[in-house]
Amino acid sequence: MDKTGIAVWDPVEIPQKRCAMWRFPRRSIWVERIETEWHVLSLPEAGYEGDSFCRIVARSQKPPSSQWRHYLHRDSGTMQPSPVLPDKPVVMRPDRALTLLPGQSTIFFLELPVWFRLSTTGYRPAKVFEEPLSVLTRTWFGDPVTGELCWGLATRLHHSIESVDPAADRAVCPLMIENDSESDLEFQKICLHVENLSIFRGKRLWTNSLHAVFKGPDQATQMEIVHTPPGFEEGMVPVSSARTPSTGWNIRRTFGMLKYFTDF
Amino acid sequence: MFFNQIRTWVDSLSPDVLTRGLRVAVTVVLGLVLVRLLAVVTQRYIMKKSNRQRQMIVRKVISYSGFFLVLMAVLGELGVKLTALLGAAGIVGIAVGFASQTSVSNIISGLFLISEKPFAIGDVLRVGATTGIIQSIDLLSIKLRTFDNLFVRIPNEKILSSEVTNITRFPIRRMDIQFQIDYEQDLSHVHTILAAVASANPWSLDEPEPVIMFTEFKESGIEVMLGLWFAKSDFIDLKNSIMRDISARFAAEGVRFAHPRRMVSMTSPAVETPRRRARKAS
Repeated sequence: MDKTGIAVWDPVEIPQKRCAMWRFPRRSIWVERIETEWHVLSLPEAGYEGDSFCRIVARSQKPPSSQWRHYLHRDSGTMQPSPVLPDKPVVMRPDRALTLLPGQSTIFFLELPVWFRLSTTGYRPAKVFEEPLSVLTRTWFGDPVTGELCWGLATRLHHSIESVDPAADRAVCPLMIENDSESDLEFQKICLHVENLSIFRGKRLWTNSLHAVFKGPDQATQMEIVHTPPGFEEGMVPVSSARTPSTGWNIRRTFGMLKYFTDF
Repeated sequence: MFFNQIRTWVDSLSPDVLTRGLRVAVTVVLGLVLVRLLAVVTQRYIMKKSNRQRQMIVRKVISYSGFFLVLMAVLGELGVKLTALLGAAGIVGIAVGFASQTSVSNIISGLFLISEKPFAIGDVLRVGATTGIIQSIDLLSIKLRTFDNLFVRIPNEKILSSEVTNITRFPIRRMDIQFQIDYEQDLSHVHTILAAVASANPWSLDEPEPVIMFTEFKESGIEVMLGLWFAKSDFIDLKNSIMRDISARFAAEGVRFAHPRRMVSMTSPAVETPRRRARKAS
């Protein structure tokens, strides 16, 4: 088994009256196929912190639950699991407040939790369901009138990819920042519009690289999305496209520089 | 038989009356169809991106103006002198205006409300003791549907002169939950428990941060206020879950809610002392 468990995202053939079980840290997904019906169950696995994997098991092993959801689709038994990014922006709260001094540039590797999407394959692939693999908090970014609802995540700011543990349930987002202004750039919170990002698969999961040149609090600065796969690995392939394709977003909506951008 | 009667009646009419009747019928049918078409096209295509309230106002303006024009055209076709009629209408209008001051006041209030836009269709509004979702905002009144599915009509004049709360104007709100705990409780422990309960609740926002305050020393216990921010659509989910969570967590941690208490101290009957006996005797 590979170290990351990335093979968990390979297509799976589910025979009739059998179950497929995807197990991730803290979450398992069960899919059962009976004729043209697909029965789906998502269960929290609080105690499980091991590798991610997928197995075909007998129906007798499926967990009893009233939460099974039923879908109807006449396609073949091959299902395509894909990692997708959350449906709302993610506000990342670094474990330490960092200040990028004027004239400096840096790169951060941010770990983003992915959601599990199951689709049918064949002539007309259809999305069956999506399920978050990690529990994120709800948070508000901006002032109470014009801000936006986001997912909240406490995270580490990694300066090198080696310090990021490979995992099948997280995608790495390279964020390159240049401070081309006369003022300090404080990282207290970073709001990433993940709905604009795609996921690529290499030895681990990656998102598009982000690049921003900060020109000062009173200057409009754009967060630019690099649409090619990040160049940290060879032979990366796209596995899921952005929910809302975009070329970038305004940096004012990105950094929680309290003294400049909010009234708090 | 019936058709014969109609035919006889039509034959008895002069060609002039017949032509006029036909023109009136065509004016009415075409006019009403055109007005309806214009209102629908404006609402669906021209004002597609406007909010529902503005669409409704424009549709009503087009409909009422259109019906008025059709009426004028029909009256003109029937030979009614419009100048005299409008003059008479002016006099009648003044008389009706005096007689219907409340309605006029409502209309003017409605115009103010429409221009001020303190709320829109779909907002949740609280006026006095009534809370409901706005169904329509008209010139005379606004119509609400309450959460127990009652239809409430509130005159615009009342809206303008009383305090109105638009509950869903802003995307997030704070829910304040107040309760009292026993005087014997460790307040730091209670604070820690409430912070943990708020942080574990999936509907409560972690930013803006929850507010925990020990607000007052009451007769039976210490009053506590837990304020949780939430997205406006999550009100019921948060309310139910947080009440359940607080209750369960307090029970598990042995924290007691305050109940009304009276402390009664029993003392033995007063002993009869010589001094007390002398005071009684005097």
